[in-house]
Amino acid sequence: MRLIRKNIDTLKGILEKNKRLARLKPLLSAVDEFYFGTDKVTTLPHIVDHMDIKRYMTFVIVGLLPATIASVYFWGLRVLAVIAVSYIFGGLVEAAFAIVRKKEIHEGFLVTGLLFPLTLPPSIPLWVVAVGVMFGTLFGKEAFGGTGRNIFNPAIVGRIFLTIAFPTIMTIVWNEPFHSGLGGFQRYFADALTQATPLALFKAEKVITHYGDLLLGNSMGCIGETFRLGIILGGIFLILAKISNWRLPLSCIVSVIVFASIGNYFAPDKFAPALFQILSGGFLLGAFFMVTDPVTAPFTKAGKWIGGVIFGFLVVLIRGLSGYVEAVMFSILLLNVFAPLIDHLVLDVKYQKNKGIK
Amino acid sequence: MPSVRTFKGGYRFVNFEGQPKDVLEEALIPQRVTIPLRQGFGGEGNCVVSPGEKVCAGQIIGSNDHGVSSPVHATINGVVEEVRRINYFKRDCLMVSIKGDGTSDYQKVQGATPHWEHLEPIELERILYLSGVTALDREGIPTQMRSSVILPEDACAIIVHGVGSEPYNISQNILLQGKNTLRLIEGIRILHKIMPNAKVYLALNSQRKKTLEELLKLSAQYDWLEAYALEPKYPQGYDEMLVPTLLKQKFPYGYSAANIGAVIVNLQAVLQAYEAVVEGKPLIERTIALCGPAFKEPVHIKARIGTALKDLVSLRIKEGMIPRFVLNGILTGPELKDLTLPIDKAYSQIIAIPENHRREFLSFLQFGPQSDSYSHTFLAKFYPTTKKTCETNKHGEERACISCNYCEEVCPVAIIPHLLSKYVQRNIIDETVMNLRIFNCIECGLCSYVCPSKIPLAKHIKDGQERLTIQGCDRNQCILPYFSNLKGIEEYRGAKKL
Repeated sequence: MRLIRKNIDTLKGILEKNKRLARLKPLLSAVDEFYFGTDKVTTLPHIVDHMDIKRYMTFVIVGLLPATIASVYFWGLRVLAVIAVSYIFGGLVEAAFAIVRKKEIHEGFLVTGLLFPLTLPPSIPLWVVAVGVMFGTLFGKEAFGGTGRNIFNPAIVGRIFLTIAFPTIMTIVWNEPFHSGLGGFQRYFADALTQATPLALFKAEKVITHYGDLLLGNSMGCIGETFRLGIILGGIFLILAKISNWRLPLSCIVSVIVFASIGNYFAPDKFAPALFQILSGGFLLGAFFMVTDPVTAPFTKAGKWIGGVIFGFLVVLIRGLSGYVEAVMFSILLLNVFAPLIDHLVLDVKYQKNKGIK
Repeated sequence: MPSVRTFKGGYRFVNFEGQPKDVLEEALIPQRVTIPLRQGFGGEGNCVVSPGEKVCAGQIIGSNDHGVSSPVHATINGVVEEVRRINYFKRDCLMVSIKGDGTSDYQKVQGATPHWEHLEPIELERILYLSGVTALDREGIPTQMRSSVILPEDACAIIVHGVGSEPYNISQNILLQGKNTLRLIEGIRILHKIMPNAKVYLALNSQRKKTLEELLKLSAQYDWLEAYALEPKYPQGYDEMLVPTLLKQKFPYGYSAANIGAVIVNLQAVLQAYEAVVEGKPLIERTIALCGPAFKEPVHIKARIGTALKDLVSLRIKEGMIPRFVLNGILTGPELKDLTLPIDKAYSQIIAIPENHRREFLSFLQFGPQSDSYSHTFLAKFYPTTKKTCETNKHGEERACISCNYCEEVCPVAIIPHLLSKYVQRNIIDETVMNLRIFNCIECGLCSYVCPSKIPLAKHIKDGQERLTIQGCDRNQCILPYFSNLKGIEEYRGAKKL
């Protein structure tokens, strides 16, 4: 601790003397604040909550940990390299903008940097990860003015960009997960196979993968989406910690059940059964960790319910009727687009002019 | 047990360190007091003494029979030293300094008698007015002598509250010790005699089962008196929340409960009304709770009004600590910077918390067994019996709003603080924010408390209100149209300007 303090103080001294390096100050103060917190005191109210954004984002990462650790087990240690690349290159963009804007670095990136690699196929080349995360941070977030002002979830923007720019890399090659012994903890990567994910299998051959395999991760798919039990537990942990709101995940799940059941009843060869829809693809990861991103989701309570219903409807629709199987990410993007409109309408109803006070 | 009443939103502050103990100490009679002529509710009184004059405790030294006000008394026996204007809570106020002779006796209020039942209401009102008790609480107690904005016959409800929803509250055990429970009922009967049209609501803390049961039993004798158990959730003790929870009525935000005919008084005010009428004791003393971790021993203290703050607190602060002193409410109360200023009728808690500039290593990774938070991310939520720390550190840097909605969830008046704050910061000060009911804000400060981005939301909302008012969009346009029979609005405006 003292060593860090000393280093930061030395660096501060250097920055103060050197005019050109002085631009890097936001970076250093971010590191300083990261380690040592703040010395500022309150004005009014005289006391404030101990919670801050750093802790908020740390908790989201803790919620993602079960899925992340499991993904290393399934796909080998290479996953760690993918995550590292995502943090480093996304961090570079973030830092560059902080320096140009002369503003502090927002901790929201800590979550994007982890969430983005979890949505990628295990065999993805590292340079593609770098391109994707830079694009996502740049156009998903910084172009709008940084965390808090962004309309789209940056991780999703990066993912969609990659899907459209590199379709072969993103959709064709999938790996067979390790599922015995120490698995991926002692191997660098899993063998690549040209086989389809459960969703694609259903689309092509109407095969429904075993639900137990889907739940425990013994199926093909993106890095962080297959260990669904861990995702559910992590998501529930966040809800219990009051980090994410329960309304959105619940309404998403309920709406998928309803719409998928309707679809499956009338056109069983196009629409998969409800439970399969919930347990396949990135739906759970999306519902618990991406839709709930408070910045881009509707913020009103009613808006959250409406948003969840729209999301579920879009997922079922895109999965059933379009050529894509990546319905979740498109639906999240569309939901982000609709979020301001939903909020606006909800507020209009809630605060009607003649309704009076309270 | 009656059902517990509460409201939507709010936050319960539990178990902060430095709660005042159930000990009552009597402060010494001070050598010198400084008495502001504007205390509690009402305008400033005209000074009726001059330097060099001999006064005795309980003698009226300031009164104004024309404006809305109540008399102010000398609180010790002695000689008037000087009369001068001082900046007191950001307003200019006339102060009378008295050098005392150390004796503790006082002059009784004229006409006070234990057999008050035989008195006419107007006589009771005169006794209350002359004793100065009528200036207590936010809108005073109405009498024919214009001590509040309404007249006694306009009052349709009296709310006596001892909910104690703040992080630090004056102890009920101290206020109601000994025979004070019976005195409280007696005091309520006196108030009811003055305001016979009013139903009396006794609002009590649902957690204090013993007091609650006792008062429920006592209140059952009177059909106009009813006791209610309220959840001690902040800001339940605010007039704005008591009216909707108890009366099921809208509150004219920005105006007062008196405007809709509700008189709200706290337990100590009722007890002091009893003392004035039965024992003839003028309002020269207050029981004040000294709370907060910066006190060596947080206790209650009974002190004469006008005693300098430093006489009360300076020897009780922990060694080597320079704390921040806050009056009455830790969230919204004014900071007491100048300790030479005196205490007045409105004091009930003095809170001292350490100024904490200390930086904490990796603060966001701490388990926080003593950290209070609205979110469930600290261990403190699992240890409800552990005392929570209370200091002034901000615990984080200010960041952009992430719309986590904590502020909306805790807002007791159902507005959306983060949205209003964004509008105000982007200079959109027009009908939009008025429609979002910016004027409903009661400035309880909870939104600023819970915000993980450390945005001063309550301040932004207040800024927005002020800027709207400058543009000519008054709160009258938002609030008044929804109320048909507000009473005493003109007087209220007059009293505010005083």
